[in-house]
Amino acid sequence: MTDIAVETAGLAKRYGNARTGKTALVGLDLTVERGEVFGFLGPNGAGKTTTIRLLLDLIRPTSGTVRVLGADPRDNAQLRGRIGYLAGDFRIDGRQTGREALTYLGDLRGGVPAARTAELAERLDLDLTRRISTLSKGNRQKVGVVQAFMHAPELLILDEPTSGLDPFLQQRFVELVQEASANGQTVFLSSHVMSEVQQTCRRVGVIRDGELVTVADVEQLRQSAHRKVEIAFAERVGAEVFEALPGLQNTVVTDTPDGASVLRAILTGSPDALLKAAARFEVTSLLAEEPELEEIFFTFYEHGSTGNGSKEFAA
Amino acid sequence: MSSTVFRKHLTDNRRGFLGWALAITAVAAMYSSMWPVLGRNSSLSSAINSFPTAMRDAFHLQDYGTAAGYFGSTVFGLLVPILLAVFAVAAGTKSIAGDEEAGTLDLVLAHPVRRVRLAAARWLAVLAAIVLVGVVLLLVELAIRVPAEFTTISTANLAAMTFQLVLFGCCFASIAFGIGAYTGRRLYAVVGGAYATVASYLCDSFLPQINGLHWVQAISPFSWYLGGDPLRNGIQWTHCALLAGLSLCCAAVGIRGFDRRDVAQGG
Ligand SMILES: Nc1ncnc2c1ncn2[C@@H]1O[C@H](COP(=O)(O)OP(=O)(O)OP(=O)(O)O)[C@@H](O)[C@H]1O
Ligand SMILES: [Mg+2]
Repeated sequence: MTDIAVETAGLAKRYGNARTGKTALVGLDLTVERGEVFGFLGPNGAGKTTTIRLLLDLIRPTSGTVRVLGADPRDNAQLRGRIGYLAGDFRIDGRQTGREALTYLGDLRGGVPAARTAELAERLDLDLTRRISTLSKGNRQKVGVVQAFMHAPELLILDEPTSGLDPFLQQRFVELVQEASANGQTVFLSSHVMSEVQQTCRRVGVIRDGELVTVADVEQLRQSAHRKVEIAFAERVGAEVFEALPGLQNTVVTDTPDGASVLRAILTGSPDALLKAAARFEVTSLLAEEPELEEIFFTFYEHGSTGNGSKEFAA
Repeated sequence: MSSTVFRKHLTDNRRGFLGWALAITAVAAMYSSMWPVLGRNSSLSSAINSFPTAMRDAFHLQDYGTAAGYFGSTVFGLLVPILLAVFAVAAGTKSIAGDEEAGTLDLVLAHPVRRVRLAAARWLAVLAAIVLVGVVLLLVELAIRVPAEFTTISTANLAAMTFQLVLFGCCFASIAFGIGAYTGRRLYAVVGGAYATVASYLCDSFLPQINGLHWVQAISPFSWYLGGDPLRNGIQWTHCALLAGLSLCCAAVGIRGFDRRDVAQGG
């Protein structure tokens, strides 16, 4: 047994023929460790779904290699038994009830206890006796969530799993992922919902135009992120003191009519130097905004940006 | 696993399959029950006998006055096999290509079932549906055989004809299934199946009347099905082997292609 859940090397995928084809992935190198919750982010059309469908052997690589749970996914039914998959655009035959569908899918996996599906359905508030064609989009998505989780697979591959779910159910879903993670299951999660990523993922990979732009630790990202700071002083202070500080940009000092002043700036990394510089004056208030993961990722999503966040300072 | 897929395909489509079986049987029963009226109508027989030979050959109207001749040209001659071919092409198309274009194949293929087995199980389920049509049709024909006065056709020969009809249906189901599995495109499967049906009919009826084109009859599934007159002579084993062989080839090529290609997400 390896401790790598997903590994791709030089993975490339080109759709269609040579002339009219479209390259969706260009040499993706990605490693997801066993037991971790890995967020897979990127703008629309970046190649997330393509990568995921390659992992499941629904499509075949143009070049490069894929290993999933230590095995080659190619024509490997046994491997798929160890995976739970929820497609980005989950679709299922509507002529059956939720229970019939889940029984069939469970049978394909060699049987899943009915109590387990019932429990999951109850947590998600899903009525299994209704015909799927009569369900709303969100309720249909719940069927997808249940079928992915019901057999407690070693690896969950989830492509935008909460699309169509209301905030309450998104929270239920986050709990499911956290439970799976506590169980030692690996989760590979593609998502556009940052709050969900922030709550579940330890590491994230960002893909853009078929290439991995970065892989980062969520906690570290937050630490190193830019945050807006605002410090109010009881006296007038000179901007020069702060402009010289490393990690501080867009420094503006505004004097107020009552003889006080306010410093506004964008801080990157440790606040230590800034605090020491400010301590020389009388500070009346201090505000440091929590950086939103969303904002951090905007910089990676921007086309043509190098991902160093320089765009953020333009304003 | 495969038997699960097989059963599921039948239960999911049970309404459609049963509906077609009943519709085709109703058409066959209707034509059969007209035999006492039309067959005994000597002026109709002599009118048909005055048609040019080529035309009578084309429509299998050589001896409208006997039960075997009447059944061969009407009940089993055109409408029933064409209806069955339409059903077969539709069912063959739907089993892979239809499911794929609807975007619902993805989910099943992400489960621990090998593509080859999934496709083979669905192909067999479609064949089972066609066998079902044959069984229902045969039972009804046997039930009305005495009241509709066609006892001159033996039970065995009626069964032989139905058996060849089933193989004929399987052949077109397999053609559509094969194209659909190979390409993943519903349109190709439907159009391919429809062309094959029409071409095979023409190769058996009109084209052989043209000088120098008589040989095309030998490659027509329609003529494999009807040629040799099973209603009089019982099962034609060579023809059966040809129909079964073509079915197997189409299915095998389709399944092999399906196993190797990308599965579409559906739109
Ligand atoms: N079957 C296909 N044929 C041709 N091009 C395709 C096909 N599927 C995807 N593509 C292209 O490949 C690229 C990557 O698509 P993919 O679906 O992997 O993006 P994604 O990251 O999942 O996007 P989203 O966030 O919108 O789901 C896109 O440019 C898309 O147009
Ligand atoms: Mg996608």
